[in-house]
Amino acid sequence: MSGNNLAFIFPAFTREYTDHPGVKLAGFASHFHAALNTAAAKVDPSLTNFSFAGSTLPEDELCTQYITYIYSCAASSLLRNSGFTPAMNAGYSMGIYASLFDAGSISFETGLELIRLAYQSLMGAIGSQSFGMASLIGLSGRDIHHLIDQSNLKIEITNQNASHSFVVSGHRDDILKLLELAKEEGSLHTRDLEVSIPYHSSYLKEGALLFGNQISHLEIKYPGNRIISLIDQTFLTNPEIIRQELINNLFYALNWFRTKQVMLESQISVFVECGPSKGLVKNSKFVDGNFRFYTLASLPLIHGEHIPN
Amino acid sequence: MATITETTKKEVKEIVYSFFAEECEVDIGQINDNTSIIKDLDGDSLMFLELIEMFKKKYNLDIELKVIGKYAVKHPVATIGQLIEMQLLIIEYENRLLELDQ
Repeated sequence: MSGNNLAFIFPAFTREYTDHPGVKLAGFASHFHAALNTAAAKVDPSLTNFSFAGSTLPEDELCTQYITYIYSCAASSLLRNSGFTPAMNAGYSMGIYASLFDAGSISFETGLELIRLAYQSLMGAIGSQSFGMASLIGLSGRDIHHLIDQSNLKIEITNQNASHSFVVSGHRDDILKLLELAKEEGSLHTRDLEVSIPYHSSYLKEGALLFGNQISHLEIKYPGNRIISLIDQTFLTNPEIIRQELINNLFYALNWFRTKQVMLESQISVFVECGPSKGLVKNSKFVDGNFRFYTLASLPLIHGEHIPN
Repeated sequence: MATITETTKKEVKEIVYSFFAEECEVDIGQINDNTSIIKDLDGDSLMFLELIEMFKKKYNLDIELKVIGKYAVKHPVATIGQLIEMQLLIIEYENRLLELDQ
């Protein structure tokens, strides 16, 4: 399964693995554990304690990011080994690292190093301030801006998933206040994302610039296929553009909704979510166009000749 | 304000049942009006939103999502049957849905 209509999409980090789709893919477990062992040796020996059935890892964001990255890299490697060749990659939020690994721009180990440096730079920069993120479904961007402005909340809209589905980042107390205001305004669903870093917001500019200084020595290569930016929907065509995107990805707002539209306009019609959840597939329904979305779990049923179940 | 006929009721029920059977990968025969959307089907708010968008297109409805959100706060939906009832009210009253509480 290859060609100019196939895209791999890489999710942000998740803590939920109990019903992960890789379990249905032959060979996934060995791919994952090989990558897990490599990562443990490189960045954190305790990663070997991870288990899909119930992890004994501390529930900190850094470990969570490592595991999702490892999972996504193992999944996309398996797909490529099985004959899937994407024409385009997109990395949703922290999914950018797995996206770059898959396209051949960075090594697996460099991806781990980028995750560690980004996390440490951002945590150092925000210090003792309390931040958070939340998702809101059912209100328009204008409605959310109005709620933020009228209460003078220190919050920014940092991603649009669909016409009425948004992610916000900002000061923790204000995030909680916005969630209450959004419910009163008629939001169909609100969720505290329970993270401490306000990703993709200007609050992270200082940390992102520090991160930029720290990654200058890391090797980044030309990508083997097109990679689309979730910030401005341009293509990341060379190492310097990719390096800048890695920095900007931390403190510029994303637009996943617009990214999907541009991918469709670029003749992408088959999307495969390379990750442990089906979050990107779920919110794919709100874009008009003729396309198909697959999770890792739904692939073997359709392409059993490539990946025996 | 649309008139809800028996045909509309049947159509809405069929759409809701088919939608959840496909989305939640369950046999449609396992779904009934008492089926819990979250506990039994592992449904979520994105599915609810998708269903609303489907009905908005199908019946050319003039309704803001936040009107539905405000109504749902006072009339929470837990089962398939309750969801069908709400969809019928949305089709019938559109943006006047909140007038039902006045």
